[in-house]
Amino acid sequence: MFGKLAWSAIPFDQPIPLITSIILIIIILGLLAWITLRGHWQYLWREWFTSVDHKRIGIMYCVLALIMLIRGFSDAIMMRAQQAIALHSQGYLPAEHFDQIFSAHGTIMIFFVAMPFVIGLMNFVVPLQLGVRDVAFPTFNSSSLWLTASAVLLVNISLFVGEFAQTGWLVYPPLSELAFSPGVGVDYYLWAIQISGIGTLLTGVNFVTTILKIRAPGMTLMRMPIFCWTALAASLLIVAAFPILTATLGMLLLDRYLGFHFFTAGFGGNPMMYINLIWAWGHPEVYILILPAFGVFSEVFSTFSGKPLFGYRSMVIATMAICILSFMVWLHHFFTMGAGADVNGFFGIMTMIIAVPTGVKIFNWLFTMWGGRIRFQVPMLWSLAFVVTFVIGGMTGVLLAVPPADFVLHNSLFLVAHFHNVVIGGVLFGAFAGYTYWFPKAFGFKLDERSGKAAFWFWVVGFYVAFMPLYVLGLKGMTRRMQHYDVADWQPWLVVAACGAALILCGIVCQVAQLVISIRHRAELRDRTGDPWDGRTLEWITSSPPPPFNFAVMPRVTGGEAYWDIKQVALENRRLTELPDYTPIEMPRNSPTGFVVAFFAVLTGFALIWHIWWIVIIGLLGAFGTFVVFAWRDHSEYLLSARELARIDAERRQARIALVEGREPAITPVKAARDPSASAARADDGGHKGPASKRIITGYGFWIFLLSDFILFSGFYAAYAVLSHSSAGGPTAKSLFDLKTMAIETACLLLSSFACGMATVASHVRNMRWTQISYFITGALGLAFLSIELSEFARMIAAGAGPGRSAFLSAFFALVGLHGLHVSIGLLWLGTMIAQIWAKGFRADIMRRALCFGLFWHALDIIWVGIFTNVYLLGTSP
Amino acid sequence: MSEYQQGADTAADAAPGDQDTGGERIAAEIRNYLIGLVLAAGFTVASFWVASGTSLIYVPGVPMALAALAIGQMGVHLVFFLHITTGSDNTNNALALAFGVLIVGIVIAGSLWIMYHLNMNMMIPGDMMNVRAAP
Repeated sequence: MFGKLAWSAIPFDQPIPLITSIILIIIILGLLAWITLRGHWQYLWREWFTSVDHKRIGIMYCVLALIMLIRGFSDAIMMRAQQAIALHSQGYLPAEHFDQIFSAHGTIMIFFVAMPFVIGLMNFVVPLQLGVRDVAFPTFNSSSLWLTASAVLLVNISLFVGEFAQTGWLVYPPLSELAFSPGVGVDYYLWAIQISGIGTLLTGVNFVTTILKIRAPGMTLMRMPIFCWTALAASLLIVAAFPILTATLGMLLLDRYLGFHFFTAGFGGNPMMYINLIWAWGHPEVYILILPAFGVFSEVFSTFSGKPLFGYRSMVIATMAICILSFMVWLHHFFTMGAGADVNGFFGIMTMIIAVPTGVKIFNWLFTMWGGRIRFQVPMLWSLAFVVTFVIGGMTGVLLAVPPADFVLHNSLFLVAHFHNVVIGGVLFGAFAGYTYWFPKAFGFKLDERSGKAAFWFWVVGFYVAFMPLYVLGLKGMTRRMQHYDVADWQPWLVVAACGAALILCGIVCQVAQLVISIRHRAELRDRTGDPWDGRTLEWITSSPPPPFNFAVMPRVTGGEAYWDIKQVALENRRLTELPDYTPIEMPRNSPTGFVVAFFAVLTGFALIWHIWWIVIIGLLGAFGTFVVFAWRDHSEYLLSARELARIDAERRQARIALVEGREPAITPVKAARDPSASAARADDGGHKGPASKRIITGYGFWIFLLSDFILFSGFYAAYAVLSHSSAGGPTAKSLFDLKTMAIETACLLLSSFACGMATVASHVRNMRWTQISYFITGALGLAFLSIELSEFARMIAAGAGPGRSAFLSAFFALVGLHGLHVSIGLLWLGTMIAQIWAKGFRADIMRRALCFGLFWHALDIIWVGIFTNVYLLGTSP
Repeated sequence: MSEYQQGADTAADAAPGDQDTGGERIAAEIRNYLIGLVLAAGFTVASFWVASGTSLIYVPGVPMALAALAIGQMGVHLVFFLHITTGSDNTNNALALAFGVLIVGIVIAGSLWIMYHLNMNMMIPGDMMNVRAAP
């Protein structure tokens, strides 16, 4: 009934996790009781949980990240304490608990602190900076958030029910295989990351589409703020890299759940392939985190130096260069695994090359400050500390990129010091700078300066005290993840490092205090004008906090610094721009879809971890049903009247009068008379007319999603190509595959695709009968394909050539089966679509989905061409 | 949002999957799909013919021939079924595709190169990787 779940899953014999969980449960229950007593549930549900507003979603992402930062940090401080005392002794943490802690620390800090923080900032800022009202797919955006939250919940449940992985944050096989990790720890990790991975992928698709297709009129690509460029690069990397992660972890799941042999120690499995694939995701992931942080620093340096960013074009080029180059360096994570000098040399050089665009950025920031009037406020302090710290981290990184040096330093504390140096000094400082910088925009009041500065100094000093000793220890030969050690010489350094962690703790306490103080003194800290820092980009033109629609009228962008130009004109004329013509706007309605899907995701994930199959089925049906209900709805938007807009905007304009009349001390007055040619440029929209039509947005978004699907398949292709000769003495391709059946399957799929094309043509001329007939033929042929494929599978398994027989067969079944899974999903989708067209006719939104379905169905052919050539034809050819 | 319907929807941009056939829509659209079907079927037949061991092709060249035919067929599907073209209204769609193809290429080629090297260097006498499979 409950699979592997039993009372023994609760750690009654381990005081630390038990007491922690009990305290946590009490806190959570208390919080829930408080919300119930105060009657906040309705407000929370209506305004937050079901919100599809990108600003709300962004704020919730950041809250999630901050809470998990505390969880991840408590893991860190436990490890530092353990290592400070564990000389010649076991310390206070038993080995299996220590192993769970370092695995959880890495997993949480990367996936559930850094990622949500960065994505939260992107969510909040990008549409505001682009001068638009929302992202491309608001409901999917909400689903992304809640799927990430589900994964967080699963990881935290592992504290109380069962255990977490003891394998390190990237669960390397063969240790993570069932034979060596029979518990549920690795399964918690795998399902949590798979669920949050889906959420992250949707975010990537959403933001690529938003930035490329939805911008205010005149906001050409080369006029976008750098933060938008870095968000674009990070989103592209998400779309390109996360499918590889999903594929790799999917293979490990198949190994653990269905007895496949991708990475096992026997039957031709190859653990090195896992390490290769996981880092093909892992390295771009680093840049997914750091690029938006670079974007934050660019905004902060420019704003707080009172100057436009130095070298805008070189910044854009450097960002996009990093975006591509980050995919060509992944082997430097496993130089020592045994590749030859050619491979190591190539990846070493590529790694050093990627330091060049990063160096360009550093110089751009330095030159931005040069000659500027620098204001040393908290965001600027974080940015300055970043430059110094990140340069040190970058240099040790270039050192590690030298393969011979890496052979000495691999897996040592030197490496641990290096990546904390860039992740804390880069990503986290960036996140804190962004948090302080955009806080007034989000909530309407600034954060307290004094406690903010105290937090800053504790953090920075604490960071150096905690991590510089680790460089020394690494050079002394201490490896990472040691539960205890016998070298007396190491202990003083580890004690110093523990003191550093304590200083960082003080920093975190100051940050909590800062929040409390700021909320209590919010009246004095209020941001009246919406422009508290004398900003230069469009988010500062609207009020703080912005109305749900962001801009009553979309701004007209005429130059590189959209808001700065408008502000200068206004300051010069000492009055606001003319009252615009307000036109009614449609805003997306809130939707519980994301929250409900996430609920089913938690259910499914938990049931999968504990092998409770009936709940798995309920969860999957529930998630599918939720999306059908969502797709079926008739009213997705509500209308805001022009009068309402004018009323709300009047308040904003009133608040800004003091600003344009030069009565705001924070705003720099206009120095010299402006260049008269500037007004001539004002009419120039740079050829960009504004957001694209909905059909283009939907189609493009789906196209981006399909590309990520191609990349998912490329992971399985790569595994198949590498493992296709590892038949472990079992049957080979030549003896197994039957080309005649293959030919029939291919014909079915090709004709099905053609029928789908005919349906598209028929729907263009609104011919209901032929649309339905063509779609039915499409589905029937797809079904025929699927049944032939499944009977082939059954025949092979019956003949003893199932996926458990060898690595070759595992890779074969996974690759072809994944395509089959896509066909099945397509058939389900087709079914709901036929029903919708039949019930509601050729409505514009249904036709947009039909366009996506067509793309999907035709794309499956392309993947099939790759499969029948690579697997069947190549396998059986002479 | 309503304003998305107007304004930018000019000839400069097209949704992927939508085809621009000018005036005579339906006939031209069907013709396009038919050409695609015939070409794709032709490529498929040619691939199966090459793989079935014809003596017309030098045997070590078979994989190359198969790869060329597969890439050709993928192109046919892209142009005639997905309507991704090199037209100026399709620049964005084609660029996205190019990025995807680049990543797919890097992942597959990179993995093969790396794993080939690892297998060569880590080869252990007696095939230690299969030690558990041995009876």
